[in-house]
Amino acid sequence: MAITNTIEKSSAENDQKNLTQEVIDFKMVTFTLGGKDYGIDIMRVKEIAKFAQFTYVPNTAPYVRGVYNLRGDIISIIDLRLMFNLPAEQKAEDQPENGLILRLETNMLGVIVDSIDKVVGISSAQVQPPHPIFGDINIKFISGVAEYDGRLYIILDVDRIFSRDEEESPSTSEERAFAAPVSTASQAFHHQKSTGESDGGDKRRSADQITRDFIHEGLQAFSKFHVSPVNEHWFSGRLGEWQDLRKEQGRDAQFTDLEDSLEFLKPFYSHQTGAFWEDRYMEKMASALPEVESSIVHVWNPGCGDGHEAYSIAVMLRRRYPEKQIKIWAGDTDLLKISTAPNLVFPREKAPQSWDEYLTKGKNGFTLAPVIKDSILFEFSDMKNASALPKMDFIFCRDVLSFLRPDEQKRQIAIFEETMKPAGLLILGDNENLLEDGAWEPSDDFISMFRYR
Amino acid sequence: MRVEYINPFVESAYNILTEVLNEEVKRGDLYLKNTAMPMLGIAAIVGLAGDVEGRVLFDMSNDTGIKIASAMLTSMDMEAVTEINDMARATLTELANMITGQAVTKLHNLGFKFDLTPPAIFTGDNMTVSDPSFEALIVPMELPMGRIEINVAVRERT
Repeated sequence: MAITNTIEKSSAENDQKNLTQEVIDFKMVTFTLGGKDYGIDIMRVKEIAKFAQFTYVPNTAPYVRGVYNLRGDIISIIDLRLMFNLPAEQKAEDQPENGLILRLETNMLGVIVDSIDKVVGISSAQVQPPHPIFGDINIKFISGVAEYDGRLYIILDVDRIFSRDEEESPSTSEERAFAAPVSTASQAFHHQKSTGESDGGDKRRSADQITRDFIHEGLQAFSKFHVSPVNEHWFSGRLGEWQDLRKEQGRDAQFTDLEDSLEFLKPFYSHQTGAFWEDRYMEKMASALPEVESSIVHVWNPGCGDGHEAYSIAVMLRRRYPEKQIKIWAGDTDLLKISTAPNLVFPREKAPQSWDEYLTKGKNGFTLAPVIKDSILFEFSDMKNASALPKMDFIFCRDVLSFLRPDEQKRQIAIFEETMKPAGLLILGDNENLLEDGAWEPSDDFISMFRYR
Repeated sequence: MRVEYINPFVESAYNILTEVLNEEVKRGDLYLKNTAMPMLGIAAIVGLAGDVEGRVLFDMSNDTGIKIASAMLTSMDMEAVTEINDMARATLTELANMITGQAVTKLHNLGFKFDLTPPAIFTGDNMTVSDPSFEALIVPMELPMGRIEINVAVRERT
């Protein structure tokens, strides 16, 4: 009796085990591509659809079949068979294609398949990792293989398939940052100093590349300056100058200390950094600013330091838009500098002669008059942190982006795009540009100013 | 955060802590943060409303909380606490109220008008605070009893 008991018990345990193994916790929509069975995680599938009459989009990859109007949402349609070079049967023009609508992290997407099979529920423990010899589809797009009812299903990892372009892009932009040839667009740019490089200079380039990398690293280590598409054209020009200068002095081009790095960066800083802007510079800048429709001009000035820049902007805008209310959000991460900004005191000669009406005399020197001061809100704030700012007409961010890591720069530009009014202007440092970024176009020949498209 | 707001909070935290605890208080370096941040164990929160919106959070470990509450209670001839009980919570709430209250008074004198909401206490392990699109100023205070992090997130109404 005791024995039967244990047997019963152990078989019960076995049942229990089998049961837990067969808990269905993964469901997939199965379909065929080129005669083989595939599956996609059902959580990624929004719906199953038949596509007819989609609109062909010219000049796209061959597997992009076009766009489709899904109850008002325009989604792109991708033919999985063409994407993976599988045989696809041609359907007549008016015959609908079978497809799935996928819900990806950021968008929706339609994919065309041969035919939809059914929804299959399996235990995720049953899914086996893909084997390299499988099929026609690149192994990194397969999240696993599962057997069900005597058939093998290849489970596709849709997130990986459709995000691979994004995955690749950071490395390419990195390469771009180091690539010596300068694009024709930036050559046309006024600040561009020609590097004078010809295609024949390949050999020299590799030796140059090493010096270049060393200097780049030196700038990063000593001054937190990052060479990126934003300042690359300046860097290339400056590098040549620097090498010549050091050769004359009989010294190595590489940096030995902070001094060298500061010396290298000296010409980088924009016109009148850390000082009030002279009338001439101000007029030039003001003449490049367009009319503003709203009654309030919203301006963001991250990296304002001790406020010289923010005050100059305020004076300039007051002259440029005498009728309008001006609101400037000025921020910096340097607590000491930003703390002095609201009550900046300076001797009279530091401010341009024509500023009389904007100054008040205090005990220890001159400060800005309330008409200017009240238009600026100084904040101890890091522009990298999201904060609830209103939409801006202008963003002045001179010589700040270059001191962010390239990935931070990208994120920062995205924040600017989000914060900018349509056709708003971003003013960067004299030696910075956004020509590599398709979303921005230069709007002035003299000032490094970019309009958000 | 607006530059003018920083000092009143730092000053009043320093003043009140030195005053009620009768101990040496050291201020750490201020910094900014906006991601979700883990809490140390016990947090008192005071909301701000008026010209601005935001909140002030006083974050400390349980142990520090007990020690601070005890120090405050014994200084008023009351019994020390050994755990976070009602008395300890009430004491820490009061501390938060005093610091924020003084800061708001200072700001009022500078011409900024804020109101306070009644303080609340959170306790628990593995908690995080996050308020998206709110940048917080962290004022760390080092006491013999441990560390209090004062987390100030205030923004202008727009």
